Amino acid sequence: MTQDLHTEKMVINMGPHHPSTHGVCRLILTLDGENVVECEPVIGYLHRSIEKICENRTYAQCIPLMDRFEYVTSMSCNWVFALATEKLTDLEIPERAEYLRVIMTELNRIASHLLCIGVTGLDLGALTPFLYTFRERELILDLFEMTCGQRLTYNYIRIGGVSQDIPDEFIPKCREFLDIFDEKVDDYEKVLTENPIWMARNKGIGVISKQQVYDFAISGPSARASGVDFDIRRDDPYSVYDRFDYTIPVFEGGDSYDRYRARVQEMRESAKIIGQALDQLPGGDIRAKVRAMFKPKAGEVYSRIENSRGEMGIYLLSDGGKKPVRVRARGASYNHLLIIPEIIKGLKIADLVAIFASLDVILPEIDR
Amino acid sequence: MNPAELTAYITSNFSGQLETVENDQAEPYFIVPLSDLVPFSKFIHDDPQLELNYLMNMAGVDTGEQFEVVLNPCSLVNMQRLFFKVVLDRGDPKFDTVSNLWAAANWYEREIWELYGFEITGHPNLKRFLLPDDWDDGFPLRKGWVGKNVIPLPEK
Repeated sequence: MTQDLHTEKMVINMGPHHPSTHGVCRLILTLDGENVVECEPVIGYLHRSIEKICENRTYAQCIPLMDRFEYVTSMSCNWVFALATEKLTDLEIPERAEYLRVIMTELNRIASHLLCIGVTGLDLGALTPFLYTFRERELILDLFEMTCGQRLTYNYIRIGGVSQDIPDEFIPKCREFLDIFDEKVDDYEKVLTENPIWMARNKGIGVISKQQVYDFAISGPSARASGVDFDIRRDDPYSVYDRFDYTIPVFEGGDSYDRYRARVQEMRESAKIIGQALDQLPGGDIRAKVRAMFKPKAGEVYSRIENSRGEMGIYLLSDGGKKPVRVRARGASYNHLLIIPEIIKGLKIADLVAIFASLDVILPEIDR
Repeated sequence: MNPAELTAYITSNFSGQLETVENDQAEPYFIVPLSDLVPFSKFIHDDPQLELNYLMNMAGVDTGEQFEVVLNPCSLVNMQRLFFKVVLDRGDPKFDTVSNLWAAANWYEREIWELYGFEITGHPNLKRFLLPDDWDDGFPLRKGWVGKNVIPLPEK
């Protein structure tokens, strides 16, 4: 009788409309009971052909498209495109603009990490941290709204500078936020970091080795959680990041738990950078003089910045005309999704949710 | 190594023919012959002085005149960057996979295969990627591509 008992592998679809896939991503899972034997991501549901559209737009018109490239941290998307374009020009970016870019992008980084930590909690059944993190995220979005009128797709960082100066009430409001923020991060940590359920769900799950970081081009907090001390702000410096005093948190575990801890520490460091940038903020112009019919030099460039998820880059090919010949947008989530089938093998479906959330995969960045 | 030293090191230690392109960017820039794509990639990936073990970006390009593939490796050990490209045969665009050196190239190449229609020899998993499964409307990122359902804007 017992020798007739057998189990069969089952193939199921997770997604495209699964709430824990953070966008629209389908995972074809081969399951043995609850264990994942194989996982194949299917993407393309959010493909908007941003790269092709860019080829038919002027450089200034590409910036709002870049907002949609990765809408959780639009400031970085604007910035990386502006940075790539500026490398093909002789524009002198005013100091004030550089500082405003740093302040806005670091605020955006905090907002993005708050989203990530809150949503990871939500995916793993902890509702409270989500409400806490969104309370503080709201304060940051208010700061963006008072500066450029938008809460999500900002179109703020432009070629040559930024679109407008900060209003008078920005600095006091921002300082008010920074004053309370450190305590609020302590609150999240009280709810999550030492929480036994949180630790059981995240510790030792989805371990990415150092070699995998290199091979799969993992970047950002996910690489630093695997013991790779790599941050583009320090190692391939751009803008005025060399003027601030901050540390780059590195952890050795490589699991979901360390990725979470790396994000928490990064938020504290970002808050330090913003504080210093507000102290040093110079006066003056906010935008270099850019001609209405803007044309960069002919040439090609790959420029990259440290986004909240990792490396965000733009490859730009210009023939000296008013439209780019080729734009390729590279987002960190692209590589982070690629590695999931490698690290999920043998784990449970519930672990897949934890890994997906802790790598902070955002689908629009992959599909473009 | 600074960019000039890096250029000198690579040109003197790699056996194939390399074309160095002068530019004002921070990283050295090479044009590699198509047949040397894999040997060159292997050299810069494995050489202990270079260790360009992290492929930041890889993109297909159609300049209107020629098809190219651009690769941007960097090193997480000594933080060096490199920029190199191969020029493909326009009539028969084809190149060998580098995904066994840099695993990240797997998806980069799959995207190039799909959107440009370049043939990639030895790639493990060439399947539809960004476009719909039943797509039969050519290669959208090639210059001059007009889709079946594209209605052009009227001329001003």
